[in-house]
Amino acid sequence: MTLAVRESAPATSRRIARKVLGHDAGAYLFLAPWLIGIFVLTVGPALGSLYLSFTRFDLITEPRFVGLANYTRIFTNDAKFLAAMKVTFTYVLLAVPLKLIFALSVAIVLNKGLRGLTVYRALFYLPSLLGGSVAIAVLWRKIFAKDGLFNDVLSTFGIDGVSWIGDPDYALYTLVVLSIWQFGSPMIIFLAGLRQIPQDLYEAASLDGASKRRQFWKITLPLLTPIIFFNAIIQTIEAFKAFTPAFIISEGTGGPVNSTLFYTLYLFQEAFSYFRMGYASALAWILLVIIACFTAVSFISARYWVHYEE
Amino acid sequence: MDITIDRRSLLKAGAGLAALGAMGAPSAFAQAETKLRMYWWGSKERADRTFAANKLYTDKNKNVSIEGETLGWNDYWTKLATQVSGRNAPDLIQMDYRYIFEYARRGALLNFDPYMGKVLQIEDFGKEATDAGRVDNKLFGVNLGMNSMVTLVNRSVLDQLGFKAPTTETTWAQFAEMAAEITKKANRPGFFGVSDASGYEPEFEAFCRQRGKALYTADGKLAFTAEDAGAWFDMWDKMRQAKACVPPDVQALYKNSIDTSPVTLGKSAIDFAHSNQLVGFQALNKEKVGIAPLPNAGAGGKPGQYLKPSMLWSVSAQSKNPEEAVKIVNFFVASPEGAAAIGLERGVPASAKIRAALLPELDALGKETVDYISLMSKHVGALPPPPPKGAGEIESVLRRVSEEIAFGKVKIAEGAKKLVAEADDILSRG
Repeated sequence: MTLAVRESAPATSRRIARKVLGHDAGAYLFLAPWLIGIFVLTVGPALGSLYLSFTRFDLITEPRFVGLANYTRIFTNDAKFLAAMKVTFTYVLLAVPLKLIFALSVAIVLNKGLRGLTVYRALFYLPSLLGGSVAIAVLWRKIFAKDGLFNDVLSTFGIDGVSWIGDPDYALYTLVVLSIWQFGSPMIIFLAGLRQIPQDLYEAASLDGASKRRQFWKITLPLLTPIIFFNAIIQTIEAFKAFTPAFIISEGTGGPVNSTLFYTLYLFQEAFSYFRMGYASALAWILLVIIACFTAVSFISARYWVHYEE
Repeated sequence: MDITIDRRSLLKAGAGLAALGAMGAPSAFAQAETKLRMYWWGSKERADRTFAANKLYTDKNKNVSIEGETLGWNDYWTKLATQVSGRNAPDLIQMDYRYIFEYARRGALLNFDPYMGKVLQIEDFGKEATDAGRVDNKLFGVNLGMNSMVTLVNRSVLDQLGFKAPTTETTWAQFAEMAAEITKKANRPGFFGVSDASGYEPEFEAFCRQRGKALYTADGKLAFTAEDAGAWFDMWDKMRQAKACVPPDVQALYKNSIDTSPVTLGKSAIDFAHSNQLVGFQALNKEKVGIAPLPNAGAGGKPGQYLKPSMLWSVSAQSKNPEEAVKIVNFFVASPEGAAAIGLERGVPASAKIRAALLPELDALGKETVDYISLMSKHVGALPPPPPKGAGEIESVLRRVSEEIAFGKVKIAEGAKKLVAEADDILSRG
């Protein structure tokens, strides 16, 4: 906050403002909160990090310009970067489709006009509200430990479970399940989409003798493609940015044996555990480019499989 | 946000303030004349004791207020680095031997030398205990207590099964044998002799020193070879095969904290820790726990352990009240009242005078810690040079490689080579 002492002359300043901004002054004034937000809190720091990505910066000494050194190392000599990419892509490619399929299945069941639909809808949505929270990640740690609740249940069926989060062969898949469990928001959107499909299409198809399955593939799915597309984009971006569950379950180590070293977690370690802000900024920009590419490819492919009613 | 005030009202306000000052300081202002911020990492036990000590100090010095803040080890260093770089560092900083060189050489810490013998009276620390806080011959950290590595045992379980805690004579081979027997005798599913310490840095360091090596040289290079690492991993692999130590999927959930230690979780009878942590371990364990020396290399082996400052008090170079901050440091380490409030939770006080004053008041845990430190002072080697930048990252590599071996992802020799190669790479990156 600055404290300015000046001659009180609101009239002059108003005149100047009008000259500079023209007729739109009022509009800009009302946009100001958003403008300040995006420039001060988003664009500014992002450009700052672009600059830092070409430096060495450990927070305590001044940043030192190193050219492309950070990027060169990431692409040619960084085994951890490759490990993080592998973990992240495995996660995205598994979690996103599975979550969407699960969300769509639940939406279809709920769409059948169950009694007490609103209650079910709220219940199924609940995990999405809680899922990203620290408390739930801690809870999952307890449930999926070697002597946790999940293995207790398995043992009543005579199955001897492993440590689902302590074993590098299973830890990542446990996190995939955690992500699928938070299917609430795509489910709600699917449900809304299903409601939009005109009932007379189904009636006509029934009259022509199309089976339920055929109706699903020929009517429901094609008409739902815009919704699927939207959900896929949003969920993919979210999956690339996944951080909290891995951070809590492995306490920030990405272990065991880097099996849960998400890209964002690796970025966090470089920045805040090892104080290589420059290197971490470079990693962040690479992630941004990857997500942008994924989204662009999705939009291009959308021309071939997404049907808009015209 | 801009606030526009015209000249007349500013003048009025200024006159009012001046009048207030002339009236001789009303009480509300004077009470918190000197505000200091204090920042440390550690358990709840430590927080309780620190706040108690601060209260004693501010009760006696009514014009001072101390705002304390505490975090876990990992978050602590993140936040401290951010605050120092934002010119917003706390006045009193709990410092670690691992980081003091980095911070001192960048000018972030206050030099204590001008205060020595005046507000800072630590002459009876002895040269070694004082010098642990020196960087380039200047004092930047005041020793808060001495500690050393320990074998942490669940005494109740050992007594019950008829085993004795390791002594200064116990070798690694004897230790491994005993651990395997504990597993066998206890005969409980999921309970083992010892934690899998193959990824613990302090114990690996002791092991290297016993072989006449070290983790790092004074100029910040690696001081152990793939052969040393191989011998260490091999020893633990044999213990794993013999079911002397916990399986890897249990060890993987250990997060370098007392509450995730296999001993606290009832998965093993023995773990490794530091002597000042005895208090914290006992607070979380229903059964009786105790401390014992680390196993040694047997005949011809060198001392592996050393006494080190568990932590140090530093004062920020940006502090607006350096003299008051140093007075508080002095209160913690050199006044019987302050030292009694923090007890032995930060290690055994370096001051002989304070130790003598505390001794009659000590409980059983305190006596055990003091006895342990005086016993070990005859069996320790020199304090190693401070670890180079990147040492923290190498610690995580040691842990990861130990897991890769334990889960059978790489062979022992291969893992040992990998550790050395990655460590060299990290050190060369700086």
